[in-house]
Amino acid sequence: MTRTLPLAASAAALLVFGFAPLALSPYWLSLLTIIFFYVCVGQAWNLMMGYTGILSLGNSLFLGLGGYVTAVLASRYGVVPWIGLPLGALVGAAMGVVIAWLGFRFSVRGVYFALLTIAFAEFFRLLFDNWDYVGGAGGVFLPSLGPDESILLHLRGSGLLFYYAFLVLAAAVTAISALLVNGRHGFFWRAIREDEEAARALGVRARSMKILVVAISGAMTAVAGGLFGLMNGSLFPDSMLGMGMSIEIIIAPIIGGLGTLVGPIVGAFFVVPVTEIANDVGQHVGIFGLNTFVYGVMVFLVIVFLPEGIWPRLRRLATRRQRPDETDGGSDA
Amino acid sequence: MTTKHEWDISRRRLLQAAGAAALSAPFIGRPVWAQGKPVKIGVILPTSGVLAAPGQASLRGVELGAKLLSEKAGMPVEFVYADTESVPENGRVAAERLIQDGCTLLIGAWDTGATISAAQAAEQAKVPILVNIASAPQITEQGFTQLFRNFPPATTLVYNAVARIKDLFAHTGVQPKTAVLLHVNDTFGKGVTGGINALWDKLDVPIEIVDQISYDLRARDLSVEVAKAKATGADLLMPVTRVNDAILIVREMVRQNYNPMGIIGPGSPGPYEKAFTDATGKYGDQYMVSVPWYDPTRDLTKQTIASFNKEYPNERFELNVGFSYEAVEIAVDALSRAQSGEPAAIHDALKTTDLKDHVMYGGPIVFNEKGQNPNIGGVMLQNQDSEPLVIGPQEIAVAEPIFPMTPFQDR
Repeated sequence: MTRTLPLAASAAALLVFGFAPLALSPYWLSLLTIIFFYVCVGQAWNLMMGYTGILSLGNSLFLGLGGYVTAVLASRYGVVPWIGLPLGALVGAAMGVVIAWLGFRFSVRGVYFALLTIAFAEFFRLLFDNWDYVGGAGGVFLPSLGPDESILLHLRGSGLLFYYAFLVLAAAVTAISALLVNGRHGFFWRAIREDEEAARALGVRARSMKILVVAISGAMTAVAGGLFGLMNGSLFPDSMLGMGMSIEIIIAPIIGGLGTLVGPIVGAFFVVPVTEIANDVGQHVGIFGLNTFVYGVMVFLVIVFLPEGIWPRLRRLATRRQRPDETDGGSDA
Repeated sequence: MTTKHEWDISRRRLLQAAGAAALSAPFIGRPVWAQGKPVKIGVILPTSGVLAAPGQASLRGVELGAKLLSEKAGMPVEFVYADTESVPENGRVAAERLIQDGCTLLIGAWDTGATISAAQAAEQAKVPILVNIASAPQITEQGFTQLFRNFPPATTLVYNAVARIKDLFAHTGVQPKTAVLLHVNDTFGKGVTGGINALWDKLDVPIEIVDQISYDLRARDLSVEVAKAKATGADLLMPVTRVNDAILIVREMVRQNYNPMGIIGPGSPGPYEKAFTDATGKYGDQYMVSVPWYDPTRDLTKQTIASFNKEYPNERFELNVGFSYEAVEIAVDALSRAQSGEPAAIHDALKTTDLKDHVMYGGPIVFNEKGQNPNIGGVMLQNQDSEPLVIGPQEIAVAEPIFPMTPFQDR
């Protein structure tokens, strides 16, 4: 029962979202696409922070690397994204290994590891800003497809294409995360999160496990970055590798509920519409910056009144109404 | 078996139906605007975030255009606004929201990233997008069929700028020998610098660029860069800036007592903005920039600026305002010829645009096969008494250039 319910719910959600384009306008599909994007990058970050307790404030680095690898290969050499995206994932994973090995080899933890990730992201932002091969600060532009070129092969084109691409990616990232966190790795990661020394004492190879989770997170984020770049048609170091993107990546899982699989999904479904509503309100009222203020207030309210995140509170309310000893178990460890 | 009675009923019904059809005929198949609903024009601009200042200036241009020009469309027009928050990726969502709102023509989105992003949504929906400001050459090279741009690409911007620089020295009779290029390292700065490097020798400018110094857009201190520029001993300083860094540069030049023969920003925004002249005062005077600008000699421009000053007494009618206003001029002109709110009809009308009387300096507004208006002119501006005045070309100049510039300590 505890395993079939989440599976059934996931299948139902996929079915609903699979047919949603029949009923929704491009604008709503576009919003859902952005939501799925934040689900992807949020899940990836959640594996590190939520399950393993590794704080990264520089995940935009993986996003940017994945985006640039895919876009530069496509625009300069005509390499199709079906090759570019996996290569981007490899680069993201390799960068994750480098950062994690450097950090954990020298016992850089907590906020110091976060600073290390920021330093790496900023280094690459500045590097890309001044590296003409990747367009420098001027950015990379992807030409639109010719009439004879295949949309599916080049992964360029309509919003509908990216809607399904991000839906599939979000589902895949969530499924992989579920498999990992409910398997041996997940138990090791949680053990490290709770008490690394104790986990080591019990035989957990903490450093390897931590390097592994950063690499997986890097690869997932890089694939999302590749698709994100293809969707936007242009990439700039500041928007792909900047601190602003790193912060945006972490907001949804924090608000939705860290250390849960549903948290990043709930968070993304909360944050993106709130941003959009706030923007709309600001625009209609005609007060510049009101959107940021409205957004800030709503996020603040969630943090104050639901400090553990939206999903854990919802889950607790739901389980209280069932049996006091019943939990949703399994998939949402 | 048909009876008279039955025939009478059918005939009555037929007559009723015909009557109803006659009454409703004016509404069947007529465009939205003919049913009393206005044609919606979506405007995408960065009105918050790091690009808020030029985004809001552009918004003022559109709002003024909406107020002064809407009637010329010959049909009710409504403007709907969307803010990208200066995030390039927001262009697409903003465009899709506006299209869903019923907008059949888009204007925007100021910066290159947001414009490309929005153009993709417009391309998919087959809704034309009129680019008011965004200079990356790639915008019209991406193969978009729905995109029209009434702003020069960086290459044209530089081409016009170099022509004006040559004019200036021919007019004043003073010929500098060397120059140092100091540029912001963003999409725009890179584009202009690349253009200068490509065109400088080709256009046979008799000035050697002795050094090129770049800096980050977010730099809060440019003392090192200005000191390096000063150390070159070049006759001219050529900064490619935004407004805040232009202010930093002037302040640093005053502090370091750096007095080249002149400061000329080739194709550079910033020094003509009110924020610059307010912040630098007399030290911002004699700073020159060569940019696309309004034609101060046209009656239409004078009237438009008078209306702007009445509407926004504390603001300045400058490049962002002008090109955004002109986007409304183009949109209204297209609607008046299309007499339809349908995107395809507006697109067709835009393709045949030939607008001779408009506010910005240049030839008639037309769009080539890539959607680019090739007839945008460039002027040389010089700040005099805290006002940017046209000093070239001579046909529209309203002031004489002051060159070489007065040393800062003598002002």
